[in-house]
Amino acid sequence: MSDDGDRVAVTLAEWPDDADSDEGVVVNWFIRQGAAVDPETSLCEVQIEKVSVDVLAPVAGTLEEIVVSEDGEFARGDTLAWMDPDDE
Amino acid sequence: MVALTELTEMYADMVTARHYEERLQEEYLEGKQPAFDISAGPIPGELHLAAGHEAAGAGVCQHLRDDDTVTAPHRPHHVAIAKGVDLKRMTAEIFGRETGLGKGKGGHMHLFDPDVSFACSGIIAEGCPPAAGAGLAAKKRNTDSVAVAYLGEGAIDQGAFLESLNFAAVHDLPVVFVIEDNDWAISMPKERVTDLEDGSKRADGFDMPGRRVDVDDAVAVYDAAREAVGRARDQNGPTLLEIQVHRRMGHFMGDPESYRPEADQAAAAQRDSIERLADDLRAAGTDDAELEDLRAEAEARVEEAIEWAKDQPKPDPAAAHEDMWVNPPSGVTDSEPDFDLAGGED
Amino acid sequence: MAEEITRELTMSRAMVEAIAGEMRADDEVFYMGEDVADYGGIFDSTEGLREEFGYDRVMDVPISETAYLGAAVGAAQEGMRPIAELMFVDFFGVAMDQIYNQMAKNTYMSGGNVSVPMVLTAAVGGTYNDAAQHSQTLYGTFAHMPGMKVVVPSTAYEAKGLMHNAIRDDDPVVYLFHKRLMGIGWLPAPDGPKTPVPETDYTIPFGSADVKHAGEDVTIVTLGLHVHRALEAAESLAEDGIGAEVIDLRSLVPLDTDTIVESVEKTGTLVVVDEDYRSYGVTGEIVASVADEAVGALDSVERVALPDVPIPYARSLENEVVADAGDIEAAVRRTQ
Repeated sequence: MSDDGDRVAVTLAEWPDDADSDEGVVVNWFIRQGAAVDPETSLCEVQIEKVSVDVLAPVAGTLEEIVVSEDGEFARGDTLAWMDPDDE
Repeated sequence: MVALTELTEMYADMVTARHYEERLQEEYLEGKQPAFDISAGPIPGELHLAAGHEAAGAGVCQHLRDDDTVTAPHRPHHVAIAKGVDLKRMTAEIFGRETGLGKGKGGHMHLFDPDVSFACSGIIAEGCPPAAGAGLAAKKRNTDSVAVAYLGEGAIDQGAFLESLNFAAVHDLPVVFVIEDNDWAISMPKERVTDLEDGSKRADGFDMPGRRVDVDDAVAVYDAAREAVGRARDQNGPTLLEIQVHRRMGHFMGDPESYRPEADQAAAAQRDSIERLADDLRAAGTDDAELEDLRAEAEARVEEAIEWAKDQPKPDPAAAHEDMWVNPPSGVTDSEPDFDLAGGED
Repeated sequence: MAEEITRELTMSRAMVEAIAGEMRADDEVFYMGEDVADYGGIFDSTEGLREEFGYDRVMDVPISETAYLGAAVGAAQEGMRPIAELMFVDFFGVAMDQIYNQMAKNTYMSGGNVSVPMVLTAAVGGTYNDAAQHSQTLYGTFAHMPGMKVVVPSTAYEAKGLMHNAIRDDDPVVYLFHKRLMGIGWLPAPDGPKTPVPETDYTIPFGSADVKHAGEDVTIVTLGLHVHRALEAAESLAEDGIGAEVIDLRSLVPLDTDTIVESVEKTGTLVVVDEDYRSYGVTGEIVASVADEAVGALDSVERVALPDVPIPYARSLENEVVADAGDIEAAVRRTQ
């Protein structure tokens, strides 16, 4: 069983430059929980104020757990999901 | 020289318009955090604010009377304020309330105030033909009313504008076409869509005077408009004006403006016609305390209008089915006379 | 066994994926519209295309609908495959001649010797208080005038398959996408339009309606946003033991009358739901088409559409005229 030590957190890598807010909303998930993806696959779309940004898969692996569901709010740095990386 | 009273009136209109847009922005964004949702908050629908356009509204409308017609486009508030549209009822309309100018049916792009002959439309350049029509009515009735059509620089490529120029020119109609050039048609910079730097040159092909006011300056606009409106009022035909203005907010609220270079946004924020007019007023002897009073009065007027509007009832859903006609659907009669069309034959 | 699709897309992304696929495959496909380059389409209809294909193939155009829609007709007649976008379908008025006197008629007037392989895309629909000049669907207007194939996707899956067919079709296709279904952050979509979308390209034939929910008691025929509202109504009706069959037309021209008639012959009851005006429009046409084919099968009919007024601005007023799931449910109950 994997524990948090093995899982990889999915976060928004770069917060939009011109955003005043430290909060955002998850607008759309594109990958279902349990599905395998390649690295850089667009996992979900988030919106901060008026700007929408895609969140990409940090590694190849399985989208193990969606933490912030659609319409859910999150703060800068929050984990949006956990991925179970493929074995090297 | 522009009389001090006129400078003061223009300043009052301009600070009212600026404060109005800033306050509407605040109200509009309420309920739209952390993510922008166009359907949330106290003001429905899209909102196109005109901060940075004030000089074009005040400088032209300063020459107009209530019986002079103005048509404005989708970004209308500054023009409406300068034309003297009822601020409370306009605000109630923007908030979608029953006592609004259109009983909540029209909204911010579709404001009608017949008391001061003001109307606007959300379709690009579509205010031009009706303005020509108002001019036509004035000419046929031999009055000295004039009509002014406002449009953006992006609208000068639209057929309705070009056809109206010709229509007004060929009939010598008392119309002034006012292009507000804010450099941007939503995300499209002017040079990408129009192969003409100075939009007033469109007048050349229609044998009418055209003039560009290159600085965002109310006094310069006032001077250019005095000539154009005077020419119309004297029944000498139409004029085309282009006025450089600045878009200080996005095209609409919610526009991320990610297409717009930061330097351009910063430049738009710096060149401020209101500060420029304040300097003119100081030079004419107005002191800072008086300017501050004018600002405070404008702000109070805006606050009062917004508070009043928010207090107004929302329309009864059943009202959606009313106001389709002025006359009954059958027209001016509901009975048909009885003629013997058979001419006496059996 | 069919391939399992684990990737979901919003409707806008599915639409863009189809356009991008066709642009990669054929240099003669290009896109014209206002704010389609840097902005990516006001409703995300061209998001990312300029970055891949450049300004020459994803062209911002002057606010001159007559010129650029007419230019699309001309380029199409030269054999290119333009896609031209009306930012809001409501703006069709300024360029209608190019649409209905040229695009729609040239094939027929030439006796089939000229073809017009273009797509006219346009954002449609209300529900976000944009008032009378920016909220219409005008489905019936376009479908009424002969010579245009008129398609209306309701999900991402359909958006992609219909777009591939639209671009490849040698005839003019009007592709009407509902703003509320695109999956834009600032205009949240209902649950439903975001669906699994195959990565491969595929085409969905026009004139093939899709039964989105099977039922025995009533046939609900609809399109666009109201597919989702009808499905919501169907869920609620099912709790009371009323089985609603929800048919998504997917295209108005051609119209799949067979699927509708087959369903009505089973249920005996027809409820047509439309976001366009009631009179002289889609609801009347569907009812008449069923009556033509199977008048004996019709026990009961209801129409749910916009009353014949322009779309008002205030929320209370717009909600009054645009049907929601409750209005659809109530119409169904009146037939039972």
